[in-house]
Amino acid sequence: MNIVACIKETPSTTAEKSFGPDMRLERRKEDAIPNPFDEYTIEEALRQQEKHAGSTVTILCMGPATATDTLRKALAMGGDRAVLVSDSALAGSDAIGTARVLAAALQKIGFDLALFGSAAADAYGGVVPSATAEFLGLPLLSYASKLDLSGDSTARIQRAAEIGYNEAEAPLPALVSVVKSINEPRYPSMKGIMASKKKPLDTFSLADLGLDPSSVGGAAARERAISSEKVSTQRKGEMYQGNEGAADRVVAFLIEQKVL
Amino acid sequence: MSNDVWALAEINNGKLANISLQLTTKAAELAAAFGGSAAAVALGTNTQAAAQELGACGAKTVYASEGEVYNQYLTQPHAETLATLIQQHQPRLVLWGGTNYGRDVAARVAARLGLSIEYNVGEVAVEGDGIVMTVPAFGGAQSVKMQFTGEGTKLLGARQNAFPTSRGGGTPQVEQVHAPAVPAKGAKVSGPFGTEGAEEAGHLGKAPDGHDIWMPAASRAKLEEAQVIVSGGRGLGGPQGFQQIEDLAAALGASVGASRAAVDAGWIPYAHQVGQTGKTVKPTVYIACGISGAVQHKAGMGTSSLIIAINKDKDAPIFQFCDLGIVADLNVVVPQLTAAVKRRKGQ
Ligand SMILES: Cc1cc2nc3c(=O)[nH]c(=O)nc-3n(C[C@H](O)[C@H](O)[C@H](O)COP(=O)(O)OP(=O)(O)OC[C@H]3O[C@@H](n4cnc5c(N)ncnc54)[C@H](O)[C@@H]3O)c2cc1C
Ligand SMILES: Nc1ncnc2c1ncn2[C@@H]1O[C@H](COP(=O)(O)O)[C@@H](O)[C@H]1O
Repeated sequence: MNIVACIKETPSTTAEKSFGPDMRLERRKEDAIPNPFDEYTIEEALRQQEKHAGSTVTILCMGPATATDTLRKALAMGGDRAVLVSDSALAGSDAIGTARVLAAALQKIGFDLALFGSAAADAYGGVVPSATAEFLGLPLLSYASKLDLSGDSTARIQRAAEIGYNEAEAPLPALVSVVKSINEPRYPSMKGIMASKKKPLDTFSLADLGLDPSSVGGAAARERAISSEKVSTQRKGEMYQGNEGAADRVVAFLIEQKVL
Repeated sequence: MSNDVWALAEINNGKLANISLQLTTKAAELAAAFGGSAAAVALGTNTQAAAQELGACGAKTVYASEGEVYNQYLTQPHAETLATLIQQHQPRLVLWGGTNYGRDVAARVAARLGLSIEYNVGEVAVEGDGIVMTVPAFGGAQSVKMQFTGEGTKLLGARQNAFPTSRGGGTPQVEQVHAPAVPAKGAKVSGPFGTEGAEEAGHLGKAPDGHDIWMPAASRAKLEEAQVIVSGGRGLGGPQGFQQIEDLAAALGASVGASRAAVDAGWIPYAHQVGQTGKTVKPTVYIACGISGAVQHKAGMGTSSLIIAINKDKDAPIFQFCDLGIVADLNVVVPQLTAAVKRRKGQ
């Protein structure tokens, strides 16, 4: 079975972030990490590989040329090889442009199961998996909190709905997006980190994927950022010290605010 | 393209989700600004009842499509119907909600028809002939103003609770739409949602390891829709600490939230987690008890209208972004507060 884990590169949560004059995120290589939610994506790919002998795991990322570092970090967890889709024409891609590229790359790689995170921790879009499924004309089993590939021809998931869970299934090849409760991601071992340096890492350009530069990247993005500002949290910031009278102060506050 | 503005309603288990009313209210407001008319799209079962509610929120037309196919397959039939309707009627804007359903349907439609799509929109302003959307970035640390470019219908994804509901509308005209055929390669719903009567009974469904999850009595309102949330963190000291939180929530009619530390410790199910990897909430009041206020927690509750924090450490980061900070022991203050609220309410 061919398993592909799609991972996004995001700035780390603690990194200082800013927009450049073109209103694009100023990316600093040293702050880049695999989207934290995609640790679950990778982990699930590895667990399925362990259950299905002879499977291969490819880690796929569309990102800047420096995202090879992010892919090596991912490969340290496991997996056989990585593919980076990188091209200067891809800068400024929106979610739909990204999905178009991932769909083409997935087709070129060939897959039975393509795994995604439910959303990336940068903008919480969560639209790439479903849009990619549409471009491929394939089913997406989204928000999986459990995945079972019994029989190698059908994927079954437990799906985390808005509240509660239900079950869903689809014939392979299929796309699956996972939620955090699906597994507990492993930490890369020393051995894994060493091994990651030698694993094959291919880079695809748009030409390799047969995509027209005008159909993707900034050229095709249909949304535009016009300005940004730091959010000032103007809070009252009133403080009250001590156990004595604290409960009464809270009640009085709730009454002042017309909540009680 | 028309000047009409649509809302994609969401029906779960035959029940109209609240976000549908918020979206329809906003659609009516925007349609009025553009000189168009508001409509809602309701797909699934019980669409007639849903249509009346959507009409009350200002939808002049409701495109209703009934069919089991919508319950049997995830998203694909819904996207198919919505895409067809958009092609037929060319609305200017379609509002969808930032729920699992909304994201999956809207993303498919955007990919299929090549439409502009924006998500997590918190505010929409009409400026000249277009709109400017405000979207949070970097966990809410920055806010970005966005515009759509290009031709065609625009798909605007709203955050939950971004827009209030108002019922100033009337009886809508309901247009019946055919349900599509079963998708060739479909993601099929194969198991029931929770157990029978799950929602009323507070049954959250099955956890990944197979055990049943029940919502604590006080927290039956969906967290994302709750007006008051009492949230607990590691400072509770253990699962029994949540009893105090539940008691206070019950007295206030609030829902129960939690920090990741409390969830990871197994004190409360994941469904209650607020933050970057949990739920985003925007209640009128958020009461954080024994929560330090890490950036990842703030990402999920930082836009609450009022934040009250109870923490014994005067240097806890949460005191930097609260309206009322109580530096005290929650084990003393929370039970006293519960008693005081009950007295006030005459309970
Ligand atoms: C990728 C990533 C994603 C994350 N996502 C989330 C998320 O979605 N949500 C989330 O919440 N966190 C998330 N976290 C974790 C986050 O960084 C914090 O670790 C977490 O929020 C801490 O939870 P806490 O405030 O309950 O615990 P602590 O930070 O341990 O704080 C406990 C607080 O309780 C106070 N306290 C103790 N005893 C008492 C008492 N008797 N009375 C009053 N106060 C008391 C202490 O002073 C302290 O401030 C994430 C982290 C990462 C790396
Ligand atoms: N540039 C990318 N390269 C690879 N995978 C991506 C990329 N962008 C998004 N994804 C996948 O889509 C998921 C959701 O991302 P998003 O829609 O951007 O929130 C991520 O968890 C990844 O699995």
